[in-house]
Amino acid sequence: MEKLVVIGAGMASGRLLEHLINAAPDRFEVTLFNAEPRGNYNRIMLSPVLSGEKSYAEIVTHDDDWYQAHGVTCRFGERVAHIDRDRKVVVGARGEVPYDKLVIATGSDPFIVPCPGHDLDGVIAYRDLDDTNRMIDQAPGSRAVVIGGGLLGLEAAAGLRLRGMEVTVLHLAGHLMERQLDPAAGYLLRADLERRGITVMTQASTKCIRGDGSVEAVELEDGTLLPADLVVMAVGIRPAVALAKDAGLSVGRAIEVDAQMQTSDPHVFAVGECVEFAGQLFGLVAPLYDQAKVLAATLLGEDAAFAPKQLSTKLKVTGCDLFSAGDFTDAPGREDIVYRDPARGIYKRLVVEDDRLVGAVMYGDTADGNWFFGLIKDGTDVSDMRETLIFGPAYQGGAAADPMAAVAALPADAEICGCNGVCKGRIVEAIEGGATDLGAVRATTKASASCGTCTGLVEQVLAATLGDAFAVPAAQPVCGCTDLSHEDVRRLIKSQELKSQPAVWQELGWRTPNGCHVCRPALNFYLLADWPLEYRDDPQSRFVNERKHANIQKDGTFSVVPRMWGGVTTAAELRAIADAAEKYDVPTVKVTGGQRIDLLGVKGEDLPHIWADLNAAGLVSGHAYSKGLRTVKTCVGTDHCRFGTQDSTGLGIRLEKRLWGSWTPHKVKLAVSGCPRNCAEATCKDVGIVCVDSGFEIGVGGAAGMDVKEVERLAKVATEDEAVEWTVAFVQLYREHARYLDRPYKWLGKVGLDWVKDTLSDAAARTALVARFDLSQTVYQSDPWAELSTRDRARGFAPLADLTLEAAE
Amino acid sequence: MSWIDIGALDDIPERGARMVRTRAGCVALFRTGATEVFATSNTCAHKGGPLAEGIVHGRKVTCPLHNWVYSLETGEAQGADEGRIATYPVRIEDGRILIDGDAIGKRSAA
Amino acid sequence: MDTVLETTKTFVEVAEIWVPENDRLVLSGGVYGRHDAFAEASHFESFTKGEGLPGKAWAEARPVVLKQFDGSYFKRTEAAKAVGLTSAVAVPVFAGSTLKAVLVVLCADDATRTGAIEVWAELDGILKLEDGYYGAATHFEWVSQHTQFPRGQGLPGGVWASNTPILMRDLGSGYRFIRSESAGKAGLTTGLGVPVPVPGGATYVLTLLSAKGTPIARRFEIWDARLAKTGPRETAKLIDGICEREGPLWDPENAGNERVAHAWEGPVGRVLGTGLPVVETGAAAGGYAMMVGLPIHRGGELAHVVAWYC
Repeated sequence: MEKLVVIGAGMASGRLLEHLINAAPDRFEVTLFNAEPRGNYNRIMLSPVLSGEKSYAEIVTHDDDWYQAHGVTCRFGERVAHIDRDRKVVVGARGEVPYDKLVIATGSDPFIVPCPGHDLDGVIAYRDLDDTNRMIDQAPGSRAVVIGGGLLGLEAAAGLRLRGMEVTVLHLAGHLMERQLDPAAGYLLRADLERRGITVMTQASTKCIRGDGSVEAVELEDGTLLPADLVVMAVGIRPAVALAKDAGLSVGRAIEVDAQMQTSDPHVFAVGECVEFAGQLFGLVAPLYDQAKVLAATLLGEDAAFAPKQLSTKLKVTGCDLFSAGDFTDAPGREDIVYRDPARGIYKRLVVEDDRLVGAVMYGDTADGNWFFGLIKDGTDVSDMRETLIFGPAYQGGAAADPMAAVAALPADAEICGCNGVCKGRIVEAIEGGATDLGAVRATTKASASCGTCTGLVEQVLAATLGDAFAVPAAQPVCGCTDLSHEDVRRLIKSQELKSQPAVWQELGWRTPNGCHVCRPALNFYLLADWPLEYRDDPQSRFVNERKHANIQKDGTFSVVPRMWGGVTTAAELRAIADAAEKYDVPTVKVTGGQRIDLLGVKGEDLPHIWADLNAAGLVSGHAYSKGLRTVKTCVGTDHCRFGTQDSTGLGIRLEKRLWGSWTPHKVKLAVSGCPRNCAEATCKDVGIVCVDSGFEIGVGGAAGMDVKEVERLAKVATEDEAVEWTVAFVQLYREHARYLDRPYKWLGKVGLDWVKDTLSDAAARTALVARFDLSQTVYQSDPWAELSTRDRARGFAPLADLTLEAAE
Repeated sequence: MSWIDIGALDDIPERGARMVRTRAGCVALFRTGATEVFATSNTCAHKGGPLAEGIVHGRKVTCPLHNWVYSLETGEAQGADEGRIATYPVRIEDGRILIDGDAIGKRSAA
Repeated sequence: MDTVLETTKTFVEVAEIWVPENDRLVLSGGVYGRHDAFAEASHFESFTKGEGLPGKAWAEARPVVLKQFDGSYFKRTEAAKAVGLTSAVAVPVFAGSTLKAVLVVLCADDATRTGAIEVWAELDGILKLEDGYYGAATHFEWVSQHTQFPRGQGLPGGVWASNTPILMRDLGSGYRFIRSESAGKAGLTTGLGVPVPVPGGATYVLTLLSAKGTPIARRFEIWDARLAKTGPRETAKLIDGICEREGPLWDPENAGNERVAHAWEGPVGRVLGTGLPVVETGAAAGGYAMMVGLPIHRGGELAHVVAWYC
């Protein structure tokens, strides 16, 4: 008999032995080494053992009897010291074993983040039964931090949670399982885990693990401190190749093998996670089994060749229906098919290329996963079923997505009318009680009877409740990605507490994977205005001017406008501006209508540098590019003017200092005139204050663009403090209610000045609006020039590479 | 093909873009997904707008100047607009972005 | 499959299915074992909404545990007492807002039978024990009354958070699991947790905890019925299960080799076909003295079938 030595009793080598024993039971005399003190068990089922949904006994693949019955000599719990290829012996801790053929199946080791504290007691990897038992032994109620939001980390988190622990998952990337899922599916997965009471933190980078001897806390780069009794590292694996390397075998990222699983030594083979084939590594079980089959054939002298296939991923968390298969990477000619059903929490995305399905991601309904996977593997031509493909094999009739789905999915307690606090259940009640049109619903419930922005939603509730008996008047949708109007989306973001763009795309049934240039900037604004603390501003969802913090000109250069508070400047500031204009070859310097200076024609890559120079002189961004506060124009007021009635310049500066940096649905321009002669032209601004002897007249809704409009009076107040309070409250009301790209006068035309007056005349409402504005300013009132001119951020303004320079080499 | 390493994948934010200067003119690199990057001419066929400054959505980009939308896969202008921009082969390896040097005219430098 | 006669006593003695018919619940099937007299009494019974135990589960749209027949709303007290049945649990099966059936199980009390049938209800964001029948496992009963489950924790919290049936092993085998110490003392080994969907959105979880000596079941199965709409025929996949005789019933490769049930074939197939629970005995129950198949609907559609055999 040939002597076969196998190092490592994992799933790949286990399958190999089964093939060999089935095909030629007497061909080999097998010795099996394993560092773990046990034989082969179904390692991928450790997660259910951790959670208690399986017992270890159930996942043992080969027990002692099996090894004995098939004459396998087991050397379990014994490490192999080295391989002597010249003498063809394997040297174990308890002695040598000669071989004719050697199989290395050492698998992989968990990757431990080498941060300070990684060696504390209570920091463990998640790889084998011992790790699993270590986690099981942790008392219910303890706090566990799982580092890594991939398959393994999430399974560990779910298992620990089921065991009764308080679990936090830290993940470096922006969404969970980013290699297998897109952001939309990642969002659903996160929501699912959070429903299980698991805390998920993305973009969370571990700085160190703290503790005296054993783990006490995990500290993140941003300073967050998470108390922990157990830390599970599940950031990845790396092939265990030390033995092979030491033996002088050819090793790249892993042990290099050919298609017959042979290493650089014709008597030595390798299989499993420790293998590299054609530059590829393998971590999922399907290709390992394929390798085992090929290697068995090779050892038996038969022809076989290993060829990597498409892979699919499932997460072993009970009730978490997630499926991902195939390829989402770059290639021309690919097309997405997206289906979302917010009511049932379903998301499906297919990627089609050349009439063939190449990738599929699904969440919530994965029943068709294997069918899609089959289409991917077989390269089936799907052109005939292209239109209905996403509905799966049983549904080749194909129904269009229901535009009403998002509203139908709302729970009864979702607030539809924010003004009057009317929830969906109340409206449905009214409809069922006989209020079958908008007017009747308004009369019975007051829903949409005030500002009216929720009218569209009320109509959709009518339609969803009455069915065909009610025809929804067509509202203008935001864009082609959705049937909902701006007003509907704003309202739903609030009532459904949607706090990220993927949340909006999914829960409101977006038809595209990630929106378009029309809806993305609008959503970005709505989210940051409604959830200033929770939502993170997305620069990729902003128009170039706001992303670059400068106005793009028609030749692709930019203009730079420093802020001049209330139009007041100093000689030193002017000198700094002049210096910058010269240093950066600014072709045009112009005084603007908003009482400041515009430097036109600055090159994109110079922006961070000119900003740094201006910053050094105390100048900050004037936001001349933003949908936000632009300028507060003033006249000189009582300081110098013989007609002035109040300190208009001082009030203007005060307002500008309070409001700058805030994002609004469209640009907002203010002016303060010191007397009714109105030198600051306050009566054609979004908010214009005219000072009179007895106080301040606050006018709103002026315009001097394509439309010219005089302001209407909002209020007259006696003190400067009140003027500031009313102005801030008005701006915040506009921020909270207007649709994106509506100037205040347009918004006022829709909701009516009376409603705004009514709302703001309530002192408590004003206070609350001001408080919400100030809260938002704690996040957003910061100078973008200072932030972006740091060396790190400035790199983003330069070309990624300059290949024209290489000619010099 | 001669693949040239032009930078790390993470230098481009998801749904963002960066520009590269080449002998064939400015090339825009678009990151449409976690591991998906496209390269096209940076110059809009309409009025020459810098496409790397546009909003990236799906596998498309919208020009920042006048909202022309291009397919990043074919370079074709979408909808009613007619025009085409050049596209270049690009691939990702070990977190690095590689562009085809032949296609962007590096040869002419020699 | 061979007919096997297990010698140990079982925890559940009687199981019956009541279905609505013209505003009344009528008996559509039952397994009564040796309790012929009680079977006789039941065949002539029917319940209006709110009447008796099944009617109460219907009217109140929740699972109901009844541990004391005397002086209660239970209508068949005399017949039950005559054969030694002392406690009952009624589980309504709703598809959306439609009542499909009420499953009633009855247990006999003595000092030797341990096990647990529990109903957990959500109150203020936490699952609390509504009521439960524990037989002789009195300490475990006490522990359960004083244990609450947040989302995602333990068998009840896990079922709640995942909205899926869950089968747990080795409940008391030295794992430091929630309630495990007491579960171990009571000899409880296997737990099946099942969501009980009801109209109105209230959360109920039913758990069956089985002890080796007096098992609630010798075999548990969880079938995923959401595949029913995809295949050429309506089918369900056996995604988890454990059996005293056959061992694990799930596919160890986790790769699509699961056992499949077809609609209308066998008792599980009947649940698939009708969306109603079934109870069977003898050959029809795979040789077991009693088989119960319980459908779980989600969003008005059949999502899972759980089955237990003893």
